[in-house]
Amino acid sequence: MLAHATAWLLLLSLSLQAAEGWTRFGPKPGGKSKIRIEGTSTIHDWQVESSLVGGTLEVGPNFPKNQGEVQPGKLDVRAEVFVPVSSLKSIKKDGTPYSTAMDDIMHEKLLKTQHPRIVYRLQELTLKGSGGAAGTYNAEAVGDLVVAGVTNRITMPVQVQVHPDNHLLISGEVGLKMTDFKIDPPAPKVALGLIKTGDEVKVLFQWEVFPR
Amino acid sequence: MSETERLLDWNRREFLRGSSLMALATLLGGVRLIRPEAAAAEPEPAPTEKVKVGLIGLGQWGRELLDQLLRLPQAEVAAICDNYPAMLRRSAKRVPDAMATEDYRALLENKEIPAVVVATPTHLHRDIVLAALEAGKHVYCEAPLAHTVEDARAIAQAALKHNRQVFQPGLQLRSDPQRHFLLPFVRSGALGRMAMARAQWNKKTSWRQTSPNPEREAAVNWRLARETSLGLLGEVGIHQIDQVSWFFGAMPTAVHAFGTVAFWRDGREVHDTVQAVVEYPEGLRLLYSATLANSFESEAEIYYGSDAAVMIRGSSAWMFKEADAPLLGWEVYARKDAFYKETGISLRADASKLRAQGDQAQAQAEATDPPVYFALQSFLRNCREVSSAVQDFVSLYGDSDPQALAEYLAKEVRRLPAADALDGYRATVLAIKASESATTGRPVSLPAELFELS
Repeated sequence: MLAHATAWLLLLSLSLQAAEGWTRFGPKPGGKSKIRIEGTSTIHDWQVESSLVGGTLEVGPNFPKNQGEVQPGKLDVRAEVFVPVSSLKSIKKDGTPYSTAMDDIMHEKLLKTQHPRIVYRLQELTLKGSGGAAGTYNAEAVGDLVVAGVTNRITMPVQVQVHPDNHLLISGEVGLKMTDFKIDPPAPKVALGLIKTGDEVKVLFQWEVFPR
Repeated sequence: MSETERLLDWNRREFLRGSSLMALATLLGGVRLIRPEAAAAEPEPAPTEKVKVGLIGLGQWGRELLDQLLRLPQAEVAAICDNYPAMLRRSAKRVPDAMATEDYRALLENKEIPAVVVATPTHLHRDIVLAALEAGKHVYCEAPLAHTVEDARAIAQAALKHNRQVFQPGLQLRSDPQRHFLLPFVRSGALGRMAMARAQWNKKTSWRQTSPNPEREAAVNWRLARETSLGLLGEVGIHQIDQVSWFFGAMPTAVHAFGTVAFWRDGREVHDTVQAVVEYPEGLRLLYSATLANSFESEAEIYYGSDAAVMIRGSSAWMFKEADAPLLGWEVYARKDAFYKETGISLRADASKLRAQGDQAQAQAEATDPPVYFALQSFLRNCREVSSAVQDFVSLYGDSDPQALAEYLAKEVRRLPAADALDGYRATVLAIKASESATTGRPVSLPAELFELS
């Protein structure tokens, strides 16, 4: 067990020290990446999901490599993440498809044609401490989120998991308001305005990336 | 009865009907016979993204497809093609801005057009479909796929190989909302123990088209020649027989068909009247008949169970219960129609409309679109979904892992209901074998491997 742990720490260490101390990460097909947006309406809650979370992550020399090296403070990290708007689909609570008509409404509200991607550009990642489990760290991310062409700077807690095979899983959640991105919450005319979608949504994500 | 009393009475009846249907829906494991909440929550339609589509083959059925495409907000008919100039000119009047060509290859070279509908004579499908798939087009190919097993297999295998494109055979009933509503109802056991099915297609029409010269006569009347046509069983019966296979959830094990030229004795080779007995596992049989000599009772499919029969005619369906059948509950309040000495209980997918109208007489006038409309709607939507899914996937991971892309498309793409390449292949093979049986008069055994794409 000790030999196994030493081996992966060595591997991780060697890999992370490559390219002048910076290592580039990216997603792989079939990974655990997922983004989920949860919202409310006057009749029922709704949720949309996508398994396509793209982009690149680059970590520098001071990125934590194991539990013992945690040093709270700003980390050398660069990241740009995107989600194709057309890959977001409405689902029921049990995960089965909800409605293609709802998908169309959502895509229209997100201005899919003009802005086919939701983009997040990390500005700053600050390590807060260990996350409890081995190789897990808590951090605070500050970045620019671009939805429907409107940019807002957001701050959110994230959790970073460094896996033995050297890949990372970054997860977190944040509350947002549609109106902050100049999106009017949908209120179907067919329901005479009686059905209204709540302005506030919760975004949950996990992004699995592998060394390139 | 005063107006207020009448309204109160109506509300009570509607409430009872609603709650009973909800109870049935629960019993049937989620069949949405009534959907007041969903109807209220129906979102307003978003502006539709159009798909540029090319139509190849502008004969009688090709023009019907053109009509339906022009009705669909998702379609932009960007090109039309027929190798007969008069046909091309005729349809070009309907779509003056579309590219018009006599050569399908010119249409396929147009990179602006991602999807094509192939409605040429059956025996001409193979080359066009293979070239279209090779050109990267999504393909809707009319049923039957081909007039030989070899051609059908070639088409279906090419479709499976080009898995980042949509291939949809024109088995339009597979996209029909009414059939999708009835499928779980029939399979749920609501009819008791299934005993048999019967289907028919009766229409007095010669199938012969006028033509200016002998060459054109042979080309336009391809349905009347044995070497190019599968006859009534293949060109018409394929849809209804496939529907029965779909509803039974099984492929048949044997077919014995019969045919004759009963009325149109104009030198034609194909039968104008046919019957077929199609045998399914567990002793189930479909009795199929079709004629070009008489129109009485038109077309219908009937499923007979020990508790009830269900008759489907076009976009309507009724249930006829046996006297000793258990009470389902909801049927007490359902609309009923008289059929000679029988009473048919209406089975409808959009019960919410009936509630909204609150008038049985009005509800009887169902303004539904034909199955081919829904089939083309599914095709266009699925083209869009698959294209954008491929684009999204490649934008993340590149284009070097076709297996991963195939898995993503299979798992994540949200397709509207439609027949796929295997459905098309199986239905076509069955139609070919039924036609073969009608020609020889001998039964044809249908081993399971016949329906597999190796």
